[in-house]
Amino acid sequence: MSTIARVKSLPVEGLKKALWVASIAAAVLLVAGPVYMLFKYSISDSTSINTGGAPIPLWPYHPTFRCFTYLFSDSQFFGVITNSFVIAACTVGMSMLLGVPAAYVLGRFRVPGRRLLLLGLISVRLFPDIASVIPITEFFIRFKLQNTYTGVILAHTLLALPYVIFIGMSAFEAIPDDLEQQARVMGANGFSVFFRILLPLSIPGLVAAAIYTFLLSWDEFIFAYFILGLGKISTLTLFLKQKLAFSPPQNLLAAISVLLSLPVIVFSLMLQKYMTAGITTGSVK
Amino acid sequence: MADVVLKNVSKRMGSSQVIDGFSLDVANGEFVTLLGPSGCGKTTLLRMIAGLETVDKGDVLVGGKRYNNLPVQQRNLAMVFQSYALFPHMTVAQNIRFGLSIHKAPAETIRRKLAWSLDMFGLSGLEDRLPRQISGGQRQRVALARALVLDPDVLLLDEPLSNLDAALRDTAMEELKRIHHQVGTTIIYVTHNQVEAMTMSQRIAVLSAGRLEQYDTPRAVYDSPATRFAASFIGSPAMNFLNGAVEVHGEDAGVMTPVGFVKLDKERFTSAKAMAGRSVTVGIRPQNIAYAEHHESKRYSDTTLSVSVELVETLGDRSLVVSRGENGTALRFLITRDIDIEPQEMVEVFLDGRRVHLFDPQTNANVFSF
Repeated sequence: MSTIARVKSLPVEGLKKALWVASIAAAVLLVAGPVYMLFKYSISDSTSINTGGAPIPLWPYHPTFRCFTYLFSDSQFFGVITNSFVIAACTVGMSMLLGVPAAYVLGRFRVPGRRLLLLGLISVRLFPDIASVIPITEFFIRFKLQNTYTGVILAHTLLALPYVIFIGMSAFEAIPDDLEQQARVMGANGFSVFFRILLPLSIPGLVAAAIYTFLLSWDEFIFAYFILGLGKISTLTLFLKQKLAFSPPQNLLAAISVLLSLPVIVFSLMLQKYMTAGITTGSVK
Repeated sequence: MADVVLKNVSKRMGSSQVIDGFSLDVANGEFVTLLGPSGCGKTTLLRMIAGLETVDKGDVLVGGKRYNNLPVQQRNLAMVFQSYALFPHMTVAQNIRFGLSIHKAPAETIRRKLAWSLDMFGLSGLEDRLPRQISGGQRQRVALARALVLDPDVLLLDEPLSNLDAALRDTAMEELKRIHHQVGTTIIYVTHNQVEAMTMSQRIAVLSAGRLEQYDTPRAVYDSPATRFAASFIGSPAMNFLNGAVEVHGEDAGVMTPVGFVKLDKERFTSAKAMAGRSVTVGIRPQNIAYAEHHESKRYSDTTLSVSVELVETLGDRSLVVSRGENGTALRFLITRDIDIEPQEMVEVFLDGRRVHLFDPQTNANVFSF
């Protein structure tokens, strides 16, 4: 009976498989298409962009990294990249410093009014950034944080903190109580339990939160624009905006965008590894 | 090593009284099992000794010291959780070393104890594996090794064998017994499995609904159950219970039950006679009822009953017969495999008069045991 069923179901299985492959291919094309175009533009020579009416080629006539070398020779651009990196790194540090202890407490203790607290945390992200940026900037001006690194780092921390706390909280929550109790029975105090059991086990979640925070800050435009303006301190996103104002060549813009996207791609690939489930397999049962 | 004394301990959780005035004394080096059905409070008791649950009333004394308010990490106890709770990010060796390094043991001691435990528990060669890379039986042994390297005063075990398959459980039981023999640590073992309790422990504490039903050696708990609960929970297949009243007919004292007149041991005729007229619950194990044709030495106090066979369950070397008396009261007994009994058949069985227990229907206490 099973043989007959298998023979009968073969064409259906084939069709199913074809549909699967087709939809995956479509999805990949949809996502990878713009990325490819961006990359193509960034290595295009001007004749491949201004074709004078002829269709734009799929691959540049004369591929060149001229735009990249140009950008890196520009001392202002180098400063901008450094700024973006420093701000993102400091945002990560700040968010983790504030977020991890909060996540630990919310994830492992019965906190009265926990739901309300979490709602309050996420509330700043319930509004579009463009709506919340104005009161926050006004607040920051009052504390003389405009045009400072501290200002933009704090603003980015504000944006990242809810995510760090939420991701971190679920990481801490997922650790079975047995492990903590076992460590205590074996003589570990709260400090040892945290640093030797809970923290190592929540690392995958916390790394994910850190990478997410880094990218959030690296990509962020609205808050950086309001707090830094187009002043002395510039970030990669502000630099792009600045260049846009002078209608620069498309290949140069594309090159900036590629550099802006690079960490996103690299980190996303790294993130995938940490998203792998089952890290606690084999601990209990 | 130390003794453990529980004095009248009580514990409420929400609206339910989980432990109700519970007292127990465990001698130094003794292997004691807390046995009872799920929800009887046995794990709660263990966690109270460990310090993972607070004690509402009463005292927990370990080695003569009052432990009630001593923080968990300051009690020199070891516990093996039902889940084993191995640290998933640490290797077998790191798991075993964890407690020692917490106590800042010298490197030489740690090295020596690790080697000892790997050898003792047959874990050599697995030092660098992670918990998820070893089998269930090996995880259980790592959990035990990790507990014992700390030289605990008391080793608390919370159903450590319930995640193992039957064959593995048998070897694990032998191993635990061997380890207790070699190490001599006081062990308090929690289980709902009567075989584990009978096999390993020196004394069994039978629990029901947060109360101690009986505390005695495995043999005594089996032979003279103190309460109807202890009688029904221990022994397999479960004991038969028949309601009736004590009557005296000339030389014979017995209980008139729905399946017939069950005679009591002649040697204790006087005490049986004193109970005449009293309503009781007769308890008799299936092992103490014999199929008539196979009963070679019929004694004077044995009862012969006529029952109708309802079904026969094969247990391997023996079969369990479920039969019914005239008015439908069930009676279970065992026969050897070479006997053929068919359902609907009427058969005669003998009840061993020396093995009849009488329980008070109100208090459920054993009022007539051998």
